[in-house]
Amino acid sequence: MVLEGVYKVRSIDEVVELLEKYRENAKIIAGGTDIVIALRNEKITPKVLIDISSIDELKSIKDEGEFIKIGAGVTFTKIVESSLFQKNLWGLYKACRLVGSPQIRNKGTIGGNIANGSPAADSIPPLICLGSTITLASKNGKRKVLLEEYYKDKANYGMKEDELLVSIDFKKPTENRVLSFAKLGLRKALAISRISIATFLELDKKGQVTTIRVASGSLGKYPMRELEVEEFLCGRKLNERTIDEAIKVVQQSMDERLKGRSTLPYKRVAVESMLRESIGDGIKFLDGVRA
Amino acid sequence: MKDIKLNVNGKDYTLNVDENIKLLGLLRDELGLTGAKEGCGEGECGACTVIMDGETVNSCLVMAFQADGSNILTIEGLEQNGELHPIQQAFIDVGAVQCGYCTPGMIMSVKALLDKNTNPTREEIREGISGNLCRCTGYNKIVDAAELSIKYLEEGRR
Repeated sequence: MVLEGVYKVRSIDEVVELLEKYRENAKIIAGGTDIVIALRNEKITPKVLIDISSIDELKSIKDEGEFIKIGAGVTFTKIVESSLFQKNLWGLYKACRLVGSPQIRNKGTIGGNIANGSPAADSIPPLICLGSTITLASKNGKRKVLLEEYYKDKANYGMKEDELLVSIDFKKPTENRVLSFAKLGLRKALAISRISIATFLELDKKGQVTTIRVASGSLGKYPMRELEVEEFLCGRKLNERTIDEAIKVVQQSMDERLKGRSTLPYKRVAVESMLRESIGDGIKFLDGVRA
Repeated sequence: MKDIKLNVNGKDYTLNVDENIKLLGLLRDELGLTGAKEGCGEGECGACTVIMDGETVNSCLVMAFQADGSNILTIEGLEQNGELHPIQQAFIDVGAVQCGYCTPGMIMSVKALLDKNTNPTREEIREGISGNLCRCTGYNKIVDAAELSIKYLEEGRR
């Protein structure tokens, strides 16, 4: 690792200025929990590092009434300790709570989880379920991209070398809707997700699904919506039988997507309890709201 | 080289650091504070744990230049006037130290936990040290020591 220049900057303007100047030779560092390892292993060899961890503007969670805006530099610890994610946004709380270890959560940021593009990034499936939009800034201004599209179509929506991820925002769900999350790791702490499932659910008085979104992590090249199972569940009454059938629908999607992968037989079985847990937690919460 | 200012264990430093070194290297090689150790170098083991601006971090994953303007507390900064910190004393009294390699990191994690939560349950203690590995597997004694340190700290406050 041979860095020629390091910058600890205080404003977004300074960052985009530096990105414009150094382009592919520069890398952004925030919490450093992924990038320092990549530098050490020489997986990346930038000439310049730009540290954004001291930019106040990137470190706040804003309740803007209808929307919640999370700065890209907000750490997982900050999300876990925020009162905003304790009720029907529990799924985001839970996902962030299960990231790494206390030390990793203290430094790792939600923006880093997105910018690194790991298929196993824990916070992404819940954010996709919420229909989150990300804001990217460059010297030429800002643009907004739907998080789901960002992953699906990197060529058109992915981050350019002169861009900085600034914030993530999503519409606050109404009280009758809930975000939940389940993760399968191989141990309790410091576990990379083998599978994660997030669901966003709304039921009518009869227990029929009026809104459902399902997003998965580690079930493809990137975190994604599981549209087949969403379509299957929409309008149905959520009972054991429906959930059993929904699991089969997810497995069918996986069979196509993960064809030939050595992990498929394992993940096929493991996905059952993840979907059950995520949907189950959602139903439990909504039962409490309706009761 | 880059000029940085930081406070370590209550002392202000102005240093000229290599762009490529980590906070762990700065503490050990520049300041001679060898309590924090490099175990895995990738944030799995927690042997390099120090407290940065009130929160535990893996100092092997923080670039030294990033620590500009920060407050760092290492195991060396815990004792006061030649007396061990109650958490350190509890680790000794319980016998929670085997080979000792993980101990500085463990103690810093316990310290950060007790700073936020003065009376954690055993489960919360386990969660609090979940980013620290003990290859001697002395976890029960370590949790016992954390519990005893809660008592010591309470007595100290009285």
